[in-house]
Amino acid sequence: MPAAEHELAALFRREAGSICAWLVRLLGPARLDLIEDAVQDAFSAALTQWPIEGTPQRAAAWLAVAARNKALDRLKRDMRLDSLDTQNEAAAWRLGFSNPDDTGKPDDTLALMFVACHPALAPEEQAMLTLQTVCGFSSREIARSFLSTPEAVTQRLVRAKRKIRGLGLAFEIPEGSRLGERLPGLLNAIYLLFNGGYTAAEGEPLMAQELCAEALRLATLLTQHAATATGETHALAALMCFHHARAAARTGERGDLVLLAEQDRSRWDHALIAQGFVHLRGAMSSTGLTPLHIEAGIASVHAGARRFEDTDWAALSRYYDTLLELKPTAVVRLNAAIACAYAMGPATGLTQLDALAGTARLTHYALYHAARGDLLLKLGRAAHAGDSLRRALECPVNGAERDYLTRRLLACEALAPATPAQVA
Amino acid sequence: MPSFMMLLHGPADRPRQTASNPQEFTHMTREYMEWADRMRAQGQLKGANKLTDDAGKILRTDGGRLSTTDGPYAESKELVGGFFIISATDYADACRIAESCPHVKYGSYIEVRQVQEL
Repeated sequence: MPAAEHELAALFRREAGSICAWLVRLLGPARLDLIEDAVQDAFSAALTQWPIEGTPQRAAAWLAVAARNKALDRLKRDMRLDSLDTQNEAAAWRLGFSNPDDTGKPDDTLALMFVACHPALAPEEQAMLTLQTVCGFSSREIARSFLSTPEAVTQRLVRAKRKIRGLGLAFEIPEGSRLGERLPGLLNAIYLLFNGGYTAAEGEPLMAQELCAEALRLATLLTQHAATATGETHALAALMCFHHARAAARTGERGDLVLLAEQDRSRWDHALIAQGFVHLRGAMSSTGLTPLHIEAGIASVHAGARRFEDTDWAALSRYYDTLLELKPTAVVRLNAAIACAYAMGPATGLTQLDALAGTARLTHYALYHAARGDLLLKLGRAAHAGDSLRRALECPVNGAERDYLTRRLLACEALAPATPAQVA
Repeated sequence: MPSFMMLLHGPADRPRQTASNPQEFTHMTREYMEWADRMRAQGQLKGANKLTDDAGKILRTDGGRLSTTDGPYAESKELVGGFFIISATDYADACRIAESCPHVKYGSYIEVRQVQEL
């Protein structure tokens, strides 16, 4: 991509969500499809016109006006098909009185997030629709994040928008008890978006980073709005700050995975960690304790440790005990066992891990076998450790994880060349 | 600079009339859009809104009791369809601006009122 085009793509990514939210305010969520097409049209027009006529002084306003004009053209086409539709006519009039400088209002962006993350949509549809409408991702970019094809993504987005149209939604930030019903779902959708980036399976590392950054941006927006700045929202923002602060240190020079113990902590984003602690204080404002609160607390213990050896494992162990009460899932039990291994020694940790053996969710979960291998190696049982690492490599892993596990396995095999399992 | 409100009066049955010719209607909408954008770029437009195409409601106190009835234009042929708020030096200037508004062509008339500065 030439430099100018790249710059335009970046500008578009920044502005598309604001323009989309503004047009949905004017035309209603039922016309999301038409609006998204109009925003794309405006971008295409900029791509062809700007290189010739020069970049306009107020580029963002130019894009807003262009998108609005394209929306009107599309409405007109619809009107020709159904000339008695007074709804379309009223929408056209609203466009006529609209102000292109009204884009970028947080209320509109938040309302759009509530539309895109409506519970009637499947979690993956929510994520895709949020990325397209709120974050300005193209279907090609979304496809790269979800290991899908642009065509398949477009199909799913069309279906999602059709569902939205059928719901007849108002464009608003829900109030009162309705907010209480909708907000946890929205937070969950943003969390999934973040996790999708954090543990991108075989995905492109750069794309994964952008997913995390976008999820963090959306959560931060929610913490800045009086209606949505609940303790739980702050807890989510804190959690993401702490995790995302480690992004640069998580991958080595060759894109390989660097574990928490081996990360160069000077490469952590300490400003972001400080922001995380601000959100953590904000999280105290809620009356109830949610799993998000505990997860943020756990992440804060890691983020607050200067060196790996300084990690407060006892505090982590306590957090995991609380989390187990709120969310007794297999993955939480796995993490609790790992924290316990550090707090009370590898033997205790291994006993806990072995108690989880055969749990359906963990049988094909690489991290379970990798953690077992790690503890077995610490206990000097290299041969058994090798078996566990081989089991881990049979599970779905991404490239960086595979490299890491392979390196560990080679180390084990150097210590114990022939494993009992192989002999048998 | 003082503010003026331009109340756009139009025929009450406008939607029915224009729906039959979407081509012309879009052209018309685009003229309003371009006029508003031009005024905004010159710093003369402070706000604008389209009102819904109904007569609205009227609230009156009637012997101490509050009563709500349908708008006064229910049977009449005129409705305020929208408004612009503009900056102008005086009524003459405001009227000059109003003259350039496409509503002069497409609506019934424009009522220009100065906003009382406090």
